[in-house]
Amino acid sequence: MDFRPLEELERKQLVNALRGNAEQGRVLLLDRRDTSFVGSADEVPDEEVISAIRSVPCHY
Amino acid sequence: MAFRDVIEAVRREVRRFLYPPPPTPRAAKVAAKQVIGPIARLVVADEVSRTLFAEYAAHRASSRGHEEIGWTLLGIRQDDEAIVLATLPAGVNRSAGATHVQFNSIAQELACRIVRQSHRQLMPLGLLHTHPGSMRHPSDGDYRGDINWVEGLRGGQGVFGIGTASEQPGRVPAVHEQERESLTFSWYTLSAGERNYRDVPVSIEPGPDLALELRTVWDEIETHAGRLNSLAGQLALVRFAIGSGSQKPALIVRVALVDNARSIEVMMEGKDVRYFVADGSQIMVAEFRDDRVDRGVYAMLTELSR
Repeated sequence: MDFRPLEELERKQLVNALRGNAEQGRVLLLDRRDTSFVGSADEVPDEEVISAIRSVPCHY
Repeated sequence: MAFRDVIEAVRREVRRFLYPPPPTPRAAKVAAKQVIGPIARLVVADEVSRTLFAEYAAHRASSRGHEEIGWTLLGIRQDDEAIVLATLPAGVNRSAGATHVQFNSIAQELACRIVRQSHRQLMPLGLLHTHPGSMRHPSDGDYRGDINWVEGLRGGQGVFGIGTASEQPGRVPAVHEQERESLTFSWYTLSAGERNYRDVPVSIEPGPDLALELRTVWDEIETHAGRLNSLAGQLALVRFAIGSGSQKPALIVRVALVDNARSIEVMMEGKDVRYFVADGSQIMVAEFRDDRVDRGVYAMLTELSR
């Protein structure tokens, strides 16, 4: 098993993601190939989602 | 620490702030994964896959089985993958026939609001609809609508599935197809400005259909969607839930009052609409009836403000 210290950028992203998960329930993303941390999923604004749902076109 | 050391430490911090070290390849890889790239792979949660096949089969066996049917797909974008984690059905009040389907978007909007209460990262990824024959590719008519619609999606790209039913023993599904018994889903992506759809490889991985529970109150969602969408748009402290009704699961809307200690709760079960006031552990039934939920809530707010 290989261990290495986190790089500064990785550490900041992980801490922010863990904080977001604990305080706001934001999702932590894992790389399913090696389970490494790959960030957190950003929230998507309601307006963006609702606009897309309302404008679903007719299909043939 | 000598004053000179303090000055040097401050200088060092200022230099670090102004000239941060470049990210290492590993750190750069992590940072790059935050960016949404073109969809190279579609991942469907296994519960989503089961839901889609089961509902497609049930639809075909129903009295409206000759009509086209469809679903809106919600999920997340990660790296170069689109991951489907929730499905919203077209609804009983869809407009559909043998050659078209238009989803009940008002009901899907409400369903989307409900499922995103707990999963704010979910976004529309695309659509799945069926064709009555064996044409496994979107039609020209599909393209004319989809090419405009994808402009409003993240990355200007969407995922589109076509469901077909035909017996072809021994046929091996392609990498962009899912097959179960006689049913096939064929998957494509379409990006803004593209002239045609592209096949997208699909895989099934363990995961939920986060909108599955909503099926138990879908009748109530379709009945009250317009008024509940208005309520959710006009008031800030509106939450939805699914609770136990007297005969079946009930759709509940909860409007917290400004003091946050009390809330108005409306329970919708079938055609029945009942109003309550919750105050801590005490729940009081409101002795009045109004099937128009938004008007009922505003009447309750007026009463409680006296």
